[in-house]
Amino acid sequence: MDYLLSMAPLMLQGLQTTLWLFFLTALGSIPLGMLVTILRLSKYKPLQKIMQTYILLMRGTPLLLQLIFIFFGLPIIGIVINRETAALIAFILNYAAYFAEIFRGGILSIDQGQYEASTVLGLSKIQTFFGIILPQVVKRVLPPGGNELITLVKDTSLAYILGLGDVLRASRTLTNQQASLIPLFLAGAIYLLMVGIVTFGLKKAETKFDYYR
Amino acid sequence: MKKSLFGVLLVLLSFTLLFGCTSGTDESEDTWSDLEERGTIIVGFDDTFVPMGFKDGSGEIIGFDVDLAKEAISRLGLEAQFQPIDWNLKETELNSKNIDLIWNGYTITDERKEKVNFTKPYLDNRQVIVVLSGSDIDAKADLEGSIVAAQNASSALAAIQAEGAGETFDGGEPILFDTYNDAFMDLEAGRVHAVVADEILARYYIAERGEEKYKVLEEDFGDEEYGVGVRKSDATLLEKLNDALDEMKSDGSAEAISEKWFGENIIK
Repeated sequence: MDYLLSMAPLMLQGLQTTLWLFFLTALGSIPLGMLVTILRLSKYKPLQKIMQTYILLMRGTPLLLQLIFIFFGLPIIGIVINRETAALIAFILNYAAYFAEIFRGGILSIDQGQYEASTVLGLSKIQTFFGIILPQVVKRVLPPGGNELITLVKDTSLAYILGLGDVLRASRTLTNQQASLIPLFLAGAIYLLMVGIVTFGLKKAETKFDYYR
Repeated sequence: MKKSLFGVLLVLLSFTLLFGCTSGTDESEDTWSDLEERGTIIVGFDDTFVPMGFKDGSGEIIGFDVDLAKEAISRLGLEAQFQPIDWNLKETELNSKNIDLIWNGYTITDERKEKVNFTKPYLDNRQVIVVLSGSDIDAKADLEGSIVAAQNASSALAAIQAEGAGETFDGGEPILFDTYNDAFMDLEAGRVHAVVADEILARYYIAERGEEKYKVLEEDFGDEEYGVGVRKSDATLLEKLNDALDEMKSDGSAEAISEKWFGENIIK
């Protein structure tokens, strides 16, 4: 117990980094993903193309590379940002692309007949989307969206490349110092706990949205 | 889709060219006056590198190099700030001015001299070969056909390559790990037969894990020295740092720091 307590402050420092990166990325990337989906599904061809390219770029290159590019690459063209901001921007841009495709899948999964029925019933486009389509989309994107959130919990460890000390980095430092594997197990337990909490939250959300049965 | 993929590839390629051209011509001026104005010098270090610079359980940044850097920088009338970095990107961090010094068991090599300036060496180091105590590897020649591990972007790797020894290893090259701890764990698991590492770090590790488990071969991959990495353009900082280090060597404060961390004076 004393042994675990001796590691607690550094691990908690790391946990703090992991948590803010997780929450701010989720808060930023989900709305941005929605915006990208809307633009991606718009009628304007150039807008569609730009969004397709953005998604291709974000999903087509490793997040690690994007982190390095934003932190070390942008200063060359005169844009200097600090470590935390650079990490956050890279994570949000990357995750928004994945969320956008999940949302698009959700919207496209709704049968065309429902739009026709809404028109026949005299609903406006906005009424149709928010009253009929969106409630069903939310239900359908919850499981794949949750998947993405769980991946995000663990992906936060990539921030080590910018020298940000997350949980995994803290445990590796302790592993080196003590020449022991125990700090790594501790890190594993912390990630498991975080994912457990996210899973629980998602389950609650699914129950809450369990309408139209 | 095909068209956009092509477009993206084109953009990436043009960035590659842009970077290739600009990074070579990064001739910036001496930053000493900026540093003085800011009042701090940012020291970049790998916070997993024990015992030179690392975070202890309470999150405190400690280590031999950390103490040395604090003392030297305070003699310049400035305050030392420590920024953890990824060791693979240390020169990039320095040259993009995210940090002002690389000070973390940084071995002086010819290859690195092309990218940074070094202060005078302050510590001697050897690249030792560590094997398990029961191993039948007794000499450097026995490494032929064995699996050998080292740290990525380390001076051990450079030393191995300089001797052309890598090709004789099993697999034609050493196995590279991000930290030495991983390499030593692999050694203990028996998947690699030997680890080539900085003596300073290897001694620390062996003392932690138990002297009886390992043996350090008498032959090594060469002597080397630790220095502090300074940006090429920072001539003033380099000169002042050299003066401060000389002063610390002569007035015994460097010796005291060495005694504290290694139990003996190994300052050069």
